[in-house]
Amino acid sequence: MRFHTVIVGGGLSGLVAGVTLARTGKRVAIVSSGQSSLHFNGGSLELLGALPDGTAVQRPLEAAASLPEEHPYAKIGVSRLPQLAADAAKLLATVGMPMQGDVSVNHYRLTPMGVAKPAWLTMGDYVTLERPDVLPWNNVLLVNVAGFMDFPVNFVAHGLREMGATVRVEELDVEPLAARRASATEMRAANLAKSLVSGSAVSRLASAINEVAGDNDEVVLMPAVLGLDDDHAVTMLRAQVSKPLHMVATLPPAVPGARLHTTLRHYFQMLGGTYLMGDTVQRGTFEGNRLTGVHTAKLADTVLQADNYVMAGGSFLSRGLMANYERVYEPVLDLDVTAPTDRAQWTRYGVFNQQPYMSFGVSVDRQFHALKGGEPLDNVYAVGSILGGHDPVKMGDGTGVAMLTALAVAQQIIDN
Amino acid sequence: MAERTQLTSISEDNFEQCLKCSICTVYCPVSAVTTAYPGPKQAGPDGERYRLKDPHYYDEALKLCLNCKRCEVACPSGVRVGDIIQKARMKHQGHGPKLRDMMLASTDLVGSMATLVAPIANFTVGLKPVKAVMHSVLGIDKHRTFPAYASTKFETWFRRHAQQEQGRFMRHVSYFHGCYVNYNYPQLGKDLVAVMNALGYGVHLLDKEKCCGVALIANGMYGQARRQAQTNIESMSTSVTRDRRPVITTSSTCTFTMRDEYEHVLGLDTAGVRDSLSLATRYIFNLIDEGKVRLAFRSDYKRHMAYHTACHMQRMGWAIYSIELLRLIPGLQLDVLESQCCGIAGTYGFKRENYETSQAIGSGLFAAVEQADPEVVVTDCETCKWQIEMSTGKRVMNPISVLAEALDLEATAALNK
Ligand SMILES: Cc1cc2nc3c(=O)[nH]c(=O)nc-3n(C[C@H](O)[C@H](O)[C@H](O)COP(=O)(O)OP(=O)(O)OC[C@H]3O[C@@H](n4cnc5c(N)ncnc54)[C@H](O)[C@@H]3O)c2cc1C
Ligand code: SF4
Ligand code: SF4
Repeated sequence: MRFHTVIVGGGLSGLVAGVTLARTGKRVAIVSSGQSSLHFNGGSLELLGALPDGTAVQRPLEAAASLPEEHPYAKIGVSRLPQLAADAAKLLATVGMPMQGDVSVNHYRLTPMGVAKPAWLTMGDYVTLERPDVLPWNNVLLVNVAGFMDFPVNFVAHGLREMGATVRVEELDVEPLAARRASATEMRAANLAKSLVSGSAVSRLASAINEVAGDNDEVVLMPAVLGLDDDHAVTMLRAQVSKPLHMVATLPPAVPGARLHTTLRHYFQMLGGTYLMGDTVQRGTFEGNRLTGVHTAKLADTVLQADNYVMAGGSFLSRGLMANYERVYEPVLDLDVTAPTDRAQWTRYGVFNQQPYMSFGVSVDRQFHALKGGEPLDNVYAVGSILGGHDPVKMGDGTGVAMLTALAVAQQIIDN
Repeated sequence: MAERTQLTSISEDNFEQCLKCSICTVYCPVSAVTTAYPGPKQAGPDGERYRLKDPHYYDEALKLCLNCKRCEVACPSGVRVGDIIQKARMKHQGHGPKLRDMMLASTDLVGSMATLVAPIANFTVGLKPVKAVMHSVLGIDKHRTFPAYASTKFETWFRRHAQQEQGRFMRHVSYFHGCYVNYNYPQLGKDLVAVMNALGYGVHLLDKEKCCGVALIANGMYGQARRQAQTNIESMSTSVTRDRRPVITTSSTCTFTMRDEYEHVLGLDTAGVRDSLSLATRYIFNLIDEGKVRLAFRSDYKRHMAYHTACHMQRMGWAIYSIELLRLIPGLQLDVLESQCCGIAGTYGFKRENYETSQAIGSGLFAAVEQADPEVVVTDCETCKWQIEMSTGKRVMNPISVLAEALDLEATAALNK
């Protein structure tokens, strides 16, 4: 089966590359073993939150100039970042995910643990703060759904109080959400969202919120348990609640990230793209420095052939990278990986300390051609968190790297 | 140390690979609509940890699992969540199957009896009083219409009208037709024969074909399922090794059951036949892709259709073949619907206690069909066909029947002489 480009991995980076290429009329296939790490995403994208030494970043585009040369942004070239960041925001708006945020200065998102973290773009309905330690409100009403455990409401309340607000916490016991309590293990944000689609369900929730809202409350914050497929339910709810209402991310699997994933995938398929969900690319065949075809577990003898291949399989969690007790490797093409051979150097004592393995990844040249046996491959690129040279947890740059490297590579493929 | 270190997972069904990320819980169609079901993570890898310690932790609610495998498709870690659940049911399920479940599951036996008396069977199962008895006594939901039984079985038609001509072709395949083609809808089998003949392939029946057993597995009749599976594996093996004929099918569920469930759930060895067993759309697509056959389409064919990806089609990862094949038809405007469960899951939706869940699961798909408003819905699964026809009133066709309709069979035959 022939394509212009085959993309291995259907997370944020694979989808952004896929959409960008499919928009120019190219025949593109994305293969994805499973759902992506977007399911951990609480509704914000991050460009750069901190430098490698831990210094907090306020102006990500300026700070990017001081990144070490192995960082993907340095490879892209700092001068190109503003344009790519603008393209990324535009792409999200086009697919139907308009975001708030200004690329020149970070805003702050609120995590499910009640901590403010730097962000670049945040979905319209979610809490954004201008500063990490000050809230725009003095009196906050924080509501939770009775029995919903993926929202540690006391942590959130504590975090908000630390920022100086007076916080009132109320629990809502409202149908059809109350009925969901019968199944404790399945009382999760996504399932609640599936119960909150119809106008009547949303109205019941709105009245319950209005009932507990007091005159003093300036704002209502609630866990993100609406809007799995689109923003209809959230828009309806906001129209009916008497106070300004914002969502706070829940623990995973997270509704906003799943929605971002579905929205991008729909758009890609609408453009005619082929999305093979639940299949795994297992190996490739080479002619010299060119990859001529890849084989998947389910298509067996049907080879996926393309002019270009984009490796977007993510990091260890998504199995774009793998490790055993002997080595760190890229499992599909055995691409070169930046990791020391001595296993003792992969990790560091203390789980919350910066961990070396977080910045392992596939080696690439300045055009993001993947290296194999020390040589760049002509038609194989790597994008997203399969790339090394950065640490999404400590530097808050995971989604930014995913989008910007995907855009840069897709652009390059189009220009060739 | 290195010699004794386990470098890869050796657990069945990749059980050990579960990271507890909970992504599977977002995609289970059952827990989306009912709280009675504990969901894939709890029913699967989480519950399994407890069941391994003490079988008492087995939860009868696991019977609510549709075996749609959408959890497995979603899992980024390759855990065979659905298989873990099916095997737990096989190992721990309390009581034997009810009479109703045995009837629903015995598609071969009931089918053979019904074909003999097709007009009477079709008439009586459609009668209100009969439906009422089935509903209250047997627990088969009264909203369901039983698929009509044909008066002549496919096999009978084939032996009488088609078998003789098959020898004149240069290349050959065997056809596993399945119960549905044999008893309910022989036309699909006839379409398959017409298309393959036009492509220059002779079609043959297997020495012995039994129901694939999907309904037996779903209804806990594992012994019989295993016996029938063994017969099928033997017949397919004979076809592949003695006759050098690959085996093709027109049902995604039969195909999935024989390729994957025989090995993963029933523990049978399918190594000799698995790679030679393929859905007809995949087989034909590959022939075209490799330049081995050519198609000529009718110039007057103009239709608007929508393709529905059945759960087992999604699990096999093969929808692309049917879709790409349909896209070759010049006069066909094809909408590809979002892949989601229709709610019937074989015999599941026929049971009175499951009717509401079944329709609630399917509601998303029904709405999508309504919105696309095609003349015909195309799908590779026969039980999806019943469900979509009953719930949306749209006509549903198998891609092979669409191909038979759209091809200029004579011109195609001339191209592939
Ligand atoms: C737990 C967690 C929390 C995170 N939190 C944040 C955060 O708060 N903010 C932030 O900015 N970033 C965060 N990140 C990082 C961010 O999510 C990622 O950097 C970004 O989304 C990565 O996108 P990706 O497309 O590169 O990879 P992924 O999203 O990992 O997607 C890779 C996809 O490829 C598939 N795949 C892998 N191998 C194959 C194969 N051989 N064949 C077919 N498919 C394959 C996988 O199944 C997966 O679907 C987090 C990451 C994780 C894991
Ligand atoms: S089975 Fe897969 S998707 Fe479900 S929790 Fe485990 S790893 Fe995650
Ligand atoms: S097989 Fe289907 S019904 Fe069963 S747990 Fe998985 S997703 Fe749910």
